Amino acid sequence: MPSLISGILRLRRDPRILKLPPYLSLLCIVVGVTWLLLLPLDDYSRRTYISENALLPGQVHTYFGGSDQNVFRAYKHEVNALQEKSNLEVNDKLESIVKGLGLKVGRQNFTYQSAGRAYAGENIYAILRAPRGDATEAIVLVAAWKNVKEEFNRNGVPLLLTLARYFKRWSLWSKDIVFLVTPDSTAGPQAWVDAYHDAHDPRKVDGLPIKSGALQGAIAIDYVQDHRFESVHVAYDGVNGQLPNLDLINSVVNIAGGQMGIGVSLQEMWHHNDKYPDRLRTMLRGMLKQGLGLASGPHSCFIPYHVDAITLQPYGEGWQDEMAMGRVVEGTFRSLNNLLEHLHQSFFFYLLMARERFVSIGTYLPSAMLVAANFTIMAISLWVKSGYPEGQPAQPKGDAAEEPARTVTVERQLFLPLGVVTVCQFLGVIPLYLFNHTTESLLTPALAFFAALSAALPHVLSHFLTTSYHPSVQQYQLIKSFSLLLLGMFLSSLATLNFSLAFLVGLLASPLSFAQPWPQSTAMRITSTVLLNVIAPATVLLVDCLIWGLDPAAVLRDAAFGWDVSGMYTAVVVWCVWWPAWLVGSITVLGQPEAAKAKTA
Amino acid sequence: MDGNKAAVGRTAGLYAGAAVLRLALFTLFPGLPDLLTGRVEISTPVNSFKRLQEGLFLYNHNVSPYDGGVYHQAPLLLPLFSLLPSLPIFTYLLYIVVDLLSADALVKIGDSGEAGSSKLFTSPRRGKRWSGVVIAAVFLFDPFTIATCVGRSTSVFTTCAILHAIAKAISGAPFSAMVALSFAAYLSMYPLLLLPPLILLCYDRQLPQRSTKSAVQFAAQNVAVVAGVLAALFGMSYLMTGSWEFLPSTYGVQLTLSDLTPNMGLWWYFFIEMFDSFRSFFLAVFWLHLSSYVGGLCVRIRRQPLVVLTLLLGLFATFKPYPSISDTSLFLAMVPLYRHVFPLMRYTFVVAAVVMYATFLGPAFYHLWIYAGSGNANFFYAITLVWGLGQSLLVCDLTFAVLRDEWEVERPEMVGKEIRQI
Repeated sequence: MPSLISGILRLRRDPRILKLPPYLSLLCIVVGVTWLLLLPLDDYSRRTYISENALLPGQVHTYFGGSDQNVFRAYKHEVNALQEKSNLEVNDKLESIVKGLGLKVGRQNFTYQSAGRAYAGENIYAILRAPRGDATEAIVLVAAWKNVKEEFNRNGVPLLLTLARYFKRWSLWSKDIVFLVTPDSTAGPQAWVDAYHDAHDPRKVDGLPIKSGALQGAIAIDYVQDHRFESVHVAYDGVNGQLPNLDLINSVVNIAGGQMGIGVSLQEMWHHNDKYPDRLRTMLRGMLKQGLGLASGPHSCFIPYHVDAITLQPYGEGWQDEMAMGRVVEGTFRSLNNLLEHLHQSFFFYLLMARERFVSIGTYLPSAMLVAANFTIMAISLWVKSGYPEGQPAQPKGDAAEEPARTVTVERQLFLPLGVVTVCQFLGVIPLYLFNHTTESLLTPALAFFAALSAALPHVLSHFLTTSYHPSVQQYQLIKSFSLLLLGMFLSSLATLNFSLAFLVGLLASPLSFAQPWPQSTAMRITSTVLLNVIAPATVLLVDCLIWGLDPAAVLRDAAFGWDVSGMYTAVVVWCVWWPAWLVGSITVLGQPEAAKAKTA
Repeated sequence: MDGNKAAVGRTAGLYAGAAVLRLALFTLFPGLPDLLTGRVEISTPVNSFKRLQEGLFLYNHNVSPYDGGVYHQAPLLLPLFSLLPSLPIFTYLLYIVVDLLSADALVKIGDSGEAGSSKLFTSPRRGKRWSGVVIAAVFLFDPFTIATCVGRSTSVFTTCAILHAIAKAISGAPFSAMVALSFAAYLSMYPLLLLPPLILLCYDRQLPQRSTKSAVQFAAQNVAVVAGVLAALFGMSYLMTGSWEFLPSTYGVQLTLSDLTPNMGLWWYFFIEMFDSFRSFFLAVFWLHLSSYVGGLCVRIRRQPLVVLTLLLGLFATFKPYPSISDTSLFLAMVPLYRHVFPLMRYTFVVAAVVMYATFLGPAFYHLWIYAGSGNANFFYAITLVWGLGQSLLVCDLTFAVLRDEWEVERPEMVGKEIRQI
C-alpha cells in the first residue's frame, strides 16, 4: 500500500503527464460533439408529456365555428380593405371595430432608432375583462399586421377579431384576455411588453393607458396564406435563446395533433419522418436559432419576461380552414385558463427534435461543458508547464530517491501576459461599438474594413510585442493560459444561459486550444495563421452569409436591431469573448519567443 | 529627494487615474450606478445605498429613519449625506474621495515594511516586496473595489476606517488607531473583533519615547479609549434620533439576522429554512464561529499582528452575516502586502480560477432564479458556497505561506523542500 501511494505520487512528477492534456482536450471536444450527435437516438431522448396536470389539453369541446365563419369573412373583408392603408388608419378602423364589441381599447406609440433606420409605429390592443375573474392575471393573443418576413397577416388579424367577439360571450374566463395587434413582428411587441412591465425607455416608447394583471401566457397567430392549410408550424425561440415552458408546446401539439387532427411541425421542417436525419436536422436548426438569439416572431419578446409564448403559423395544402385554427386557439386558451400559477412543472431548457421527442438540460449540457472544459484543461496544463524551467523538466526517472526531491520552480513573469490578455479583452469593445452604431448603408464597408483590420492586427501586435518586450516561451505559455482560462470560464457560464451559443462558439474556437508559437518553422507559422484566419469571427460571418445567401449588411442590421431593441447579447459574446480569444491565439501563433534566462524562485 | 518626488508623482498619477476612471464610469454610463446598487452581490441590507436613500428621506421629513424597517445603517451617516448638495455628482465625489483615502492608508501600510519585518519577526524573503504605490494600485483598480464604489455601498466608509486604523497603528499613534477602529465598529459591528490584533500591532509599533512596557496596562488603556469613543458615538446617535431604538435596528439586525435578503454569504439560506425554535441556537453558533478565529490567530501568529489582521479580514469576508464584495475587496487589498510569501503559496491558480468562475456564474444563476424563473435559490446559493470556498482557500493558503516562512527561519535547511505530512 505505501509503495502504491508513493508510486502514484511519483507519477505526479513524471514529465510524461504534461504531454497528456492536449490529447485530453481533443478527446473532450470529440466526445462533446459526438454526445450531441447521439442525442436524437431513441435511447437518449424522451417522449414529451404534459407535466402540469391543470392544463388538461384537448379535453374541452370547442364551439368555435358555425356562424362565426360569417363573422370571420366580414372581418376579413374589412381587413383586406385596409391592406394598403397607413398604420394610423388601420388602427382607427380596428379601434372602431373592437369598441363595437364592447372591449376597452388602448393605443401606444413607439419609435426605435437602430442602424440609422427608424422603426416607428403604433400598437393597438384591447382588454377583455374576465366577467368572473379578479383581473390579477391575463393571457395575450397577438396578431402582427406584418409577420417576420414582412408578409401581410391577412387571416391572422381577422381571426383575432373574430375570436375577440367569440371570447367576449363566454363567462368562464378566469383571466383577462388581451388582444394585441402590432404593425410588425419585432419592434411592436417588444415595445408593448416593455411598457406593460414598466421597463420601457420613455423617450422611445409610450406607456400603456390601460393594463391588466400579470401575463401568464401569449399566443401569436401568423396566418398569411389564403387557402386552407394542412399543418401548424410552432415557433418557440425567444430572444437570447430563452425558451418557453415545454408544457405550452406540448399542449398545442396535443390539442392540434390529438384533438383536432392537424399536424404540428417545428423549426420549419415541413416534412418530418421521425427518423434520425430529420431529428438531427430539427435539433441543429433549433440550436442555430437559439444560438443567434434573434426574435423569430411576435412571441420572442414575451419570453424574457417569464411569459411563455409561441407563434402558430398554419401552412401547407390541406382541408383545415380558419375555423380549425380558431378552435386550436380556443382549446389552448381554455387550457391556459385552468392554470393557477405560471407554468413551472415542465422544462425550460430543452432541445426538441420532433414534435414529441426532446432532451432536457441534464442530458445535453455535458456536451457544451466538455467543449468549454477543454479550454480549461489546456489552460491548467499551460500554467503548470510555465512553472518548469526552460527545456525539458529535468527529472531523474525511476530512481530510488528516498529524500523529498528539491522542487525547482521558475518564477512566473505575470505582468506582460496579464497585460496582453486584458488589452485584447478590452479591444473587443471596438467591433461591438462599430457594428451597433453604424448606419445601414455603411455596414458592408464597415465589415470589410473590420475583416481586414482583424486579419492584420495580430501581425501588428505580435511584431510590437516581440520588438518591445521580447517575451519568453514562458510568457507565451502564460498568455495562452490566461486567454483560454477566460474563454473556458465565459463559455461555461454562458452554457447555463444559452447552451447553443456556448456550444457553437466553443466549437468554432476549439482550434485555439492547439495554437502555439513556432519559432523555428516558418511554414508551420504560415499554416497556423491561415487556419486561424479561416475560423476568425469575421470570416465565419462572411462564409455563413455566402452559404445561406444572406446579405451581410442585413445580418448586421438585424444584429444591431437585436442589440438596440430586444436586448440581445449575442454580439457581446462574439466580439467581446470569442474575438479577443481569437486575437490572442493569433498573436501566440505568430510569436517568436526568445530563450530567456530562467530565474529560480 | 528625487526618489521621493518621483514616488509622490507616481502616487498622484495613480490617484488621478483612479478618480478619472470612477468619474468616467459614473458619468458616461448613467444607468450603471443604479444597476450596480440593485445587485445583491454589492448591496446588502446593512450597506445598501437605496436603503440609505430611504432612511435619508424619512430623516429629512422628521420621522425616525428606523420606523420603516428598511434602513439598518448607522444614524450618523444621515447628517453626513444630508449635508451633501442634492446633485448626484457630489455623492459620486464623496465616494471617490473615500476610495482615495483608503488607498492613501494602504500606501502608508505598504511603505512601512511592516508586512516583511514586524517588531518580533523578520522574514528572510522581505526583499521581494511591492511598494505602497503598487499595493494601492491593485486596490484602486480591483474590479470589486470599482464596483463597490460605483454601486455606492456604504461599506466603503468601514473599509476606509479599518485601513486608517491599521495605518495609524503602524505609524505609532495608538490613540488615532483606536478612534478609527471605533468608527469602523460603529458603522459595521464586526471590526470590533479586530481589536485584539490591532492592540498587539499598536503595542509592537509604539514609539520608544511614549511606550508603555506593560502589555496589560496598554491593552486596558486602548480598550478604554475604544469604549469611550463608542460611548460618545452612541450618545451622539441618541441625541440625533431621540431614542435608543437605533441599537436594535442596526446591531440587532446583524445579531438576530432579521432581514433575510439573499446576498453572497452563507447565513441567509440557512436561516430561511430553519425552524424558529432552533434559531437562537444557530445564531449563537454562527457568531461564536466567527469570533473564534480571533483568539487562535492572535496567539499563534503573535509575532506578525498584521498577518492576523489580514487573515481575519479574509475570514470575516466569508463568514460574516451580510458579506458583500466590498469586504472581499478589503481583504484582497491587504493580501498583496505579502507578495514576498507568494512563492510559498500552493493554490494561487486554483483560487484565482474559483473566484473568477464564482464571479461570473453568480449573477448568471441569480438571473435564472429571479428573472428567467427557470432556476431556484439552490443554484445561486451553490455558487455562493463556491465563492466562500475560494476565499477560505486563499486564507488557508496565505496562512500556510506565512507559517512556512516563519518556520524556515528556524529550519533553513528545509528551504525549497516539499513538506510532507507525517
